[in-house]
Amino acid sequence: MSERRFASLTLLPGAAWLVLLFLVPLGITLAISFGVTDELGNALYAWHPENYDRVFDPLFAPVLLRSVGYAAATVALCLLIGYPVAYYIARFGGRYKYLLVALVVLPFLVNYLIRVYAWTAILSDEGLVNGVLEDLGLTSDGVRFLNTPWAVIGGLTYGYLAFMILPIYAALDRMNPSLIEAGKDLYATGWQTFRHVTWPATFQGVLAGSVLVFLPAVGDFVSAQLLGGPDTYMVGNLIQQQFFDANNFPFGAALTTVLMAFLLIFMVFYLRSAGRAAAEARA
Amino acid sequence: MTGASGTLERPSLRRRYAARRAERRRSFDRPRFLRVLMAGFLLWTFAPIAIVVLFSFNAGKSLQNLDGFSTRWYSDFFGDEQLRQSLFASLEIALVTMVVATVLGSLLAYGLVRARNRLSPVTNVMMLIPLVVPEIVAGVTALLLFTQLGIQLSVTTIILAHITFSISYVTVIVRGRLVALNREVEEAAMDLGATRLQTLRLVVLPGLWPAILAAGLLTFALSFDDFVLSFFTTGESPQPLPVRIYSSIRFGVTPTINAIGSLMLLVSLSTIALALALPRLLGRRGHTVLIGRDAM
Repeated sequence: MSERRFASLTLLPGAAWLVLLFLVPLGITLAISFGVTDELGNALYAWHPENYDRVFDPLFAPVLLRSVGYAAATVALCLLIGYPVAYYIARFGGRYKYLLVALVVLPFLVNYLIRVYAWTAILSDEGLVNGVLEDLGLTSDGVRFLNTPWAVIGGLTYGYLAFMILPIYAALDRMNPSLIEAGKDLYATGWQTFRHVTWPATFQGVLAGSVLVFLPAVGDFVSAQLLGGPDTYMVGNLIQQQFFDANNFPFGAALTTVLMAFLLIFMVFYLRSAGRAAAEARA
Repeated sequence: MTGASGTLERPSLRRRYAARRAERRRSFDRPRFLRVLMAGFLLWTFAPIAIVVLFSFNAGKSLQNLDGFSTRWYSDFFGDEQLRQSLFASLEIALVTMVVATVLGSLLAYGLVRARNRLSPVTNVMMLIPLVVPEIVAGVTALLLFTQLGIQLSVTTIILAHITFSISYVTVIVRGRLVALNREVEEAAMDLGATRLQTLRLVVLPGLWPAILAAGLLTFALSFDDFVLSFFTTGESPQPLPVRIYSSIRFGVTPTINAIGSLMLLVSLSTIALALALPRLLGRRGHTVLIGRDAM
């Protein structure tokens, strides 16, 4: 048997699995998104594009916008915190470099639910922070942290920060440090060197990190569910409700399709840049 | 004699101090605010986790005050028949997912690297998409597949969904190793009369083992920790641990959650430690000749 034939055979089971359990379900979701429900709540295939009108209904459109807004704020916060952290590790980590990278990754071994739950315990009205504030006599009736947009965005940032730090760290680590010295030799200030040398050299890492944070953050529903309330619900909560409470699968499928279509640009961008990076690494 | 060497040493010492001072000056610019930020970041990331672990050993029910040491929340967990079943369900799901996804993903990696036919670029893109699809989209599509086909939701449906979204991780990891393998050794094996399968088993697989093991253990950890996909595809009972955690958090905070969270952390940590340690232990057994270019 030729090598190609043999390799095509080994490719088959995995490819078939992905077609049947990934591509076909995507198709079913698209089909159901035009469907209707019968009296029992079962989803039926039909031609009912009004599901999509409802997605952009004044009742639901703000939720979509809010999701994008929260996710964008999360990306900004992750960048604000993640870049300096990555910079510190890459430039000044010294022999502790790998230890610090491990410390960045370690919290992500803790279940995301548990990590968000920890914040509810810390920030709740009877939580640790309010306990300390009361002991210090700063407040008597507690500060409300939960159910605010900042609690939700904070939870998302806490949840996905590593996705920002790691690509930026990789870009900084690849960068030739003598470029920075050259900038200094040419009498650039620290800020000028950063703006004209370091930032452009690591921009691809920043982009990759931003997409990697944005994609899961837009679709997240755990943070809004546990740290927020109905006023801070995101599209993920809306979708989850259609499948578990409202039992309106076609509308849930339409919401999912819109979310997927919106995110497609970001996915394509990321896959292309990842493919280019892999090709460069191979060359 | 001693005096002479002393005078000789002193200038060299001085030079070394000067060099060190210069180095310190060069390594800047190490702005102090960066160090403060780094410390703050570490505190912020680890404080919540430390609190969960600490309060899992708290004797009282309070989440504000430590009332002494006790393992009552752990005995609560292991005494609860339903929670124990959830733990076993989670372990079963993760184990089956690990085995099936690792086999399918490794074969797929081999096919993608060596097949180079018209379909492989398409397959490659299809393999990469699950890595970037938000979890909720994955959950919805899996749920709709099962409900529309009339398949009863159960542990099996969770396993099917987990395998689907784990294959790609395995493929990407194993492919990275496969690309670095030395192909001449394979050709030599075939020249010496080995069949395709023999070459795969005796030459390619030994070189790939570390990557396959690491990928398998990563898959185990991801599956064991997964919430969203399980949430959408789970039946009534037994539900995997993260789903149980989610429903109990929604009804209020109980200290048992701290114990479960700490135990899950222990499982994840051991898995990752295994993933790091095993390839090294195996690597010592003398497969290095076959491992290829990057090892030379």
